[in-house]
Amino acid sequence: MGTNGVAVGESVRDAVYRSCILLDDEKWSDWLNLCDADFEYEITAWSPEINKDMIYFSGNRDYLQSMTDMLDKHNTDHSPLRRHATVYTIDENDDGTLTVMSSLAIYQNLLDGINSHIDAGESHLFVIGRYIDKMKIEDGKAIFLERKVALDTRRLDKGSHWPL
Amino acid sequence: MPARNHNQWKANPPLKGGEWIDSRIYSDPEIYEQELEDIFKKVWVPICHESELPDPYDFRTATIAREPVVVARGPDNVVRAFLNVCPHRGMMIERRPSGSFEEAAPSGNPKRMTCMFHGWQYDMKGNCVYISREKEGYQDRLCKEDTGLRRLRCEVNFGGFIWVSLDDKVMSLEDWCGDAFKCIRKPLEAEPLEIFHYHKAVIGTNYKLWHDTNSEFYHDFMHYHNRVTGFNDAYFARENTAFKHGHVNVGSFEVQYDEYEGFESRAELSFPGLPPNQWYMVDLFPGMNFNLRGSALRCDIVTPLGPDKVMIEFRGFGLKSDTPEERRTRIDHHNSIWGPFGRNLHEDLIGVAGQGSAMLPGSENRRILHGRHENNLIHDEVGMRHYYDEWGKWMNRLPSDPSQPYMPAEAAE
Ligand code: FES
Ligand SMILES: [Fe+2]
Repeated sequence: MGTNGVAVGESVRDAVYRSCILLDDEKWSDWLNLCDADFEYEITAWSPEINKDMIYFSGNRDYLQSMTDMLDKHNTDHSPLRRHATVYTIDENDDGTLTVMSSLAIYQNLLDGINSHIDAGESHLFVIGRYIDKMKIEDGKAIFLERKVALDTRRLDKGSHWPL
Repeated sequence: MPARNHNQWKANPPLKGGEWIDSRIYSDPEIYEQELEDIFKKVWVPICHESELPDPYDFRTATIAREPVVVARGPDNVVRAFLNVCPHRGMMIERRPSGSFEEAAPSGNPKRMTCMFHGWQYDMKGNCVYISREKEGYQDRLCKEDTGLRRLRCEVNFGGFIWVSLDDKVMSLEDWCGDAFKCIRKPLEAEPLEIFHYHKAVIGTNYKLWHDTNSEFYHDFMHYHNRVTGFNDAYFARENTAFKHGHVNVGSFEVQYDEYEGFESRAELSFPGLPPNQWYMVDLFPGMNFNLRGSALRCDIVTPLGPDKVMIEFRGFGLKSDTPEERRTRIDHHNSIWGPFGRNLHEDLIGVAGQGSAMLPGSENRRILHGRHENNLIHDEVGMRHYYDEWGKWMNRLPSDPSQPYMPAEAAE
């Protein structure tokens, strides 16, 4: 990672943690602004039930923008998600980009999940997995080129309309 | 009418028999137990797809009406089903969701189902082939011939789904639901299918409420996607067709996928023999659904876990012959609406969770209306009326008053 490895590490971690906060706060456009114009996003899981790698959701930056722009037209539950990521490894690829692996747990804080009189305010684990990000450094800033949310969780109950 | 007092609220609606039901059938623990005995133990259940066990010795496990089931592909390529219970002391033999018996279990031999507890072993036909220290313990009183597995009726049909019944005397699968599959049989059977999607949901609601949602399209009002891609003359001309044994079809029309920003037409990858962008739905009693939207097939299977709890397994399928690009496109089409993060599934699940939380066991019984008549067209609630008439017969209960014995809807007015 060269001599400025410490600085790179800092920008990468800053970008990953910032993405968590922006996603938590449902600031979708601000989150997408951390990403390259050609950004690609995927939610995946490996299923031991059917012995296959699966894709649960995917899209480029424009697709994510239009899906999030249309959220107001969709019925959704309003239980906010809280992403807890820890950057574990940062590896440099041959082309100079970085592969960043973070451990991920997303908690759900119920509002109207089931019966809000009883459940509102309760928090539980929603999904576990990893963020596998591909990034580049530009002017000292880490930019997302790809994000793969590799889930372990396959029992997703009501699911979600939101990017994870 | 303004808001009603308690008596007015409890009064029967001004509809005919069969046009509403009593919500106790969605919440009563006694009714739930009877459903497991009298319905789920008596019908055909599609527990998985042949592409989930492609090779000899591959297996898959499931549960029907609390009974653990294992299906395994034999060296002869035949898929057989057994109760996944050891005849010795009742251990569940295979505990994983899927895998292969080709490799030996820690306390057994290759190509055998081994019960880990005391090491009894079974072959792919369910014969008991090994009892540890057999002669020493049982002398001549009990031997392997007495301790085979319980075999279950099993058929592979309608596009390679593996159907199991706990009832040895169940009617043939063809008689059970052949008619209901007619509309999509060609596209499903033209060439082998392959699974690409699996996820599950456990929801606090009754299993029938999920099936109802799959059988009525009036709720398209809650799906922005369906309003903009459907809701044209052809949509309102879609027909619901009832079949014997409580099954229903929802007829097709051409979906305008490109009316939803970011989505595309599915014409190019329509299943073989299916005109472009068509959408057929097969709803099977008592809670299985096959949904063919042009380029991808979805299958929902319910496993009731209580009067107010259900597991729904969601599967997605393409053609085995797909190129990687074709498969990828089918997956994207599937996910856009049906994936766990897609546009519609989340809304459907919120809907039934909301019903479930308002119909908990012990809550006051209400009248649930199924009384829309529109010449059997798309927003006609004939699918649910047909289902509950069948349910009434199986349960010998009147859906509008489950404490009374079944009688035909006309007589129940
Ligand atoms: S319980 Fe299976 S071998 Fe004893
Ligand atoms: Fe729906």
